[in-house]
Amino acid sequence: MSNLQDLKHLEGPGFKARVQKAGAFLAGMIMPNIGAFIAWGLITALFIPVGWVPNEDLAKMVGPMITYLLPILIAYTGGRAIHGQRGAVIGAAATMGVIVGTDIPMFLGAMLMGPLAAWVLKKIDGFTQERTPVGFEMLVENFSLGISATILAIGGFFGIGPVVEGITKALGNGVDVLVSNNLLPLASIFVEPAKVLFLNNAINHGVLGPLGVNEAAESGKSILFMVETNPGPGLGILIAYWLFGPRLMRATAPGAMIIHFLGGIHEIYFPYILMKPRLIIAAIGGGAAGLLTATIFNAGLVATPAPGSIFAYLAVTPKGNYFGVLADIVVATGVSFVLAAFLLGFGRGEKAGDPQAADAVDQPVEV
Amino acid sequence: MSSNAIEGKSITSVVVACDAGMGSSVMLTSQLKKRLGKYGVTVSHSPVAQIPQDAQVVVCHSGLAARAKATAPAAVVVPFQVFMGDPAFDRVEAAIRDGGSLAG
Repeated sequence: MSNLQDLKHLEGPGFKARVQKAGAFLAGMIMPNIGAFIAWGLITALFIPVGWVPNEDLAKMVGPMITYLLPILIAYTGGRAIHGQRGAVIGAAATMGVIVGTDIPMFLGAMLMGPLAAWVLKKIDGFTQERTPVGFEMLVENFSLGISATILAIGGFFGIGPVVEGITKALGNGVDVLVSNNLLPLASIFVEPAKVLFLNNAINHGVLGPLGVNEAAESGKSILFMVETNPGPGLGILIAYWLFGPRLMRATAPGAMIIHFLGGIHEIYFPYILMKPRLIIAAIGGGAAGLLTATIFNAGLVATPAPGSIFAYLAVTPKGNYFGVLADIVVATGVSFVLAAFLLGFGRGEKAGDPQAADAVDQPVEV
Repeated sequence: MSSNAIEGKSITSVVVACDAGMGSSVMLTSQLKKRLGKYGVTVSHSPVAQIPQDAQVVVCHSGLAARAKATAPAAVVVPFQVFMGDPAFDRVEAAIRDGGSLAG
């Protein structure tokens, strides 16, 4: 165990804390709304023509939910984080302009316009509240919000919508190039290390999820939901720890496996990597192997599996994709386990006192 | 750096913080409730960016401790390394049970 009294990392919010904070803000707009995403994913998987129980009438929910409901919820939540209830309302209202200004689901636009509109209103409120005559507060507040929302919605229609549509399409095309050239596994080189530095929510809900939703809206599924959420790499590392890790840590591994793989709380395995940073190679290898498998089988999910539990995975796997999705997880687990077992020296030297042995904990990463 | 301390017997609430305030902090909160509830201490969970300003003690992973400090500068921030069986949890419980200064 590393020294808990070593609080050097508490010296003010550094660069990493700022990145975490910005990422958490993006993720914080999405994560409270995951339940609505899951509802949309289930309705889509059930009722679209290739779904489990096709139903033309109920399938009418699919389009409006992804075009209007989900972006507006995101903008509402983002606006609330900046300026409370008034921020939430203006964020939602102003985002309507961004939504109708384009012909693709406006998740990135909502993540931009929601907080922006709330910030503008916060400035306006700061100006008017000091100058409002007694008794005119409600009148001023309602109309300052209404008029600002109108102007911002119009500005969003002409300004933000088309620009974000271009950015979204460019990013989507970039992802298409990666996928069609089997290069997506390279993403693991960045995703897995960032994940254990507690940027997991920022990456998945801040970046990959919104891009994946656009793809899922077009083709019914997206592989991008599987990049960060795969429980396989973490599971492989925990199994390796259980069998070959430092004796002190072995006892905790089975409980961690249940919480990680079934409960979907991936944070539980991050410390196992932070204690032996070379194990990140196992996570990268497992993640990349899983993505390659998913690419080969053309697998995808209808919505982001959150939390990243095997149950959430199965719930958002579209019809006909079970083999590819499960193969992705199995391969990722296996590759990660073999690499981690190798990096832990297969538990050799437990008794020999070899400094390179598994019991010798690496210098923990300062996170 | 500033380090805060609190007398264990005067602790009435503990906040568990994680990045989103929805996952690992909820899990730890239910565990700590079992350990600390019997001393009359309430345990709640929170996103690390929204820790209440009046929080007495904040428990969070060491990777998030810098942000916890920035959000709640007056609180005693107790960082931990692993989610299960970390000595930090024992340290908090011991301070509450036996009294004594809890620093962080």
